[in-house]
Amino acid sequence: MTVLANPSVVTRRHRRRAVTVVARMIIALVATFLFIAPVLWMVTTAFKTGNQAFSRDIRWFFLPTLDNFAQIIAGSNFTYALVNSIQVSVISSVVAILLASGIAYPLARFDIRGKSTIAGTILSLRIVPPIVTIIPLFLVMRAIGLNGSLFAIIILHVFMNLPLAVWLLRGFFEDVPKEIEEAAQLDGLNHVQTFFRIVVPLAVPGIAATALLCFVFSWNEFLFASILSNAGSQTVTVALTQYVTPVGTQWTQIMAAGTLVAIPVWIAALSAQKYLVRGLTFGAVK
Amino acid sequence: MTPGLLFLAAVAIYPTIYSLVISFTRWRLTTGGDPVFVGFENYAGLLADPSFWNSVRVTLVFVVAAVVIEFLLAFGLALVFFRGLPGEKIMRSLILIPMLCAPVVVGLLARFSLEPTFGVVNQLMRSVGLPTTEFLGSPDLALPTLIVIDVWQWTPFLFLIFLAAMQGLPEEIIEASKLDGASWPRIIWHQFLPLLKYPIMVGVLLRLIDTFRVYDIVFMTTRGGPIDVTSTMSWQIYDVGFRSFTISYAAAYSWLLLLLVLVVVNSLIRKMVARS
Repeated sequence: MTVLANPSVVTRRHRRRAVTVVARMIIALVATFLFIAPVLWMVTTAFKTGNQAFSRDIRWFFLPTLDNFAQIIAGSNFTYALVNSIQVSVISSVVAILLASGIAYPLARFDIRGKSTIAGTILSLRIVPPIVTIIPLFLVMRAIGLNGSLFAIIILHVFMNLPLAVWLLRGFFEDVPKEIEEAAQLDGLNHVQTFFRIVVPLAVPGIAATALLCFVFSWNEFLFASILSNAGSQTVTVALTQYVTPVGTQWTQIMAAGTLVAIPVWIAALSAQKYLVRGLTFGAVK
Repeated sequence: MTPGLLFLAAVAIYPTIYSLVISFTRWRLTTGGDPVFVGFENYAGLLADPSFWNSVRVTLVFVVAAVVIEFLLAFGLALVFFRGLPGEKIMRSLILIPMLCAPVVVGLLARFSLEPTFGVVNQLMRSVGLPTTEFLGSPDLALPTLIVIDVWQWTPFLFLIFLAAMQGLPEEIIEASKLDGASWPRIIWHQFLPLLKYPIMVGVLLRLIDTFRVYDIVFMTTRGGPIDVTSTMSWQIYDVGFRSFTISYAAAYSWLLLLLVLVVVNSLIRKMVARS
């Protein structure tokens, strides 16, 4: 490191470093702009009147209106769909967490024969494209008369989210120090008690993050919901498609609806940001 | 453990077998009646069907182009970010927004922004003297446009993974290489790529899996058209199964899709399971 003692070398390095930081900053700002500009365009359009939205020149500054949102909410269809989506996403996430915990905890803690086979098989379900899954399940739901019910959509969303939930929860349960559990068992707690009284409280942030991700995937899901729903059981993503008609597409209202659909996901993801990388990679990258 | 596994068995295993059985029958939902066993007729029909091979080609072009471009952009952007920048956290959060939007919303947004007469993209293009372009309606541009939409939405996903992985690299490695006088490309090639192999593998695996299933965006924007240039396998299967209701043909079709996905991702997923 003696070389660095030479002052001219140091300043040259500093200057070069400053230049690269500026260059990197410019690239980063341009990239950030490119990724958010379309979304910004959607959100601003949602607050525009038809005249403002379709004027010849692009307006970033205008007097915002809430009319589009008011009309979306007043049209009963979309409000119904919002209620449906909330039900589907919340119930399916909770059920997925419950079922997944039951699989994940033994995988994390006990010596079970074929443990990695079970984990691998569950993970491999994630590979199957949803269009492959939906054909037989559509026929089954049709045969038992569940087509068009929220229940059918909930079942499929639980199924869709189980592999992720199992893999994530397994990691979060493994993170709980084994010694604490062993101490609890010395105190006379059985496995079930240990799980609920010791492991769950310690793993709450991880469980919450997993639930939020399940919520996001269920909320955004379209294929299952569109095939299994009818007019009464539409979720928001399905309801959105109905706005695009060959005649009279109400773009400002569509952008308002799109914004309404996107906001809960942004909030959920923001709350789980600390675990986002881990969650999105099935726990592979921490 | 049992309730969860029973649920999976009921929703995964039984329907899988059912789907396989249907794929060996002739069954149209519109005409009613029961499935008739026809052996490999559906599979033979598919292999002789030009629209099947078209959808395979469209899907592979989409998957390869989207994943390669996303990888390069995300890796480059992660390199720009990982040594720290002012406002890094807020920029990172903003960059994540596209991947958090429902694909259906992204599809609508794409239609709105790319619309030829009033869409903002064409307005901007006209203001710099470029001709009005029908991105989604042109046979040459529709597929590249869908790829760009996917790249816009999902580059942030790989960026987030790569950035987290790079920030987890030991600082000494970079410093040591720099003192050795190694240039950045050399450091990236010889130090980063080997160390980041696992996160890269997982990220690319998940992108491959998800690009193979592309459906929502196609549904919202081109519906397979113009003609069939954006007819991905998922879209085709939907079209055959749920618009023409030739459900047995769709079942066979979906098995071939699953087979294709398995062939492509099999080795990656094995490594991921082995590593955990």
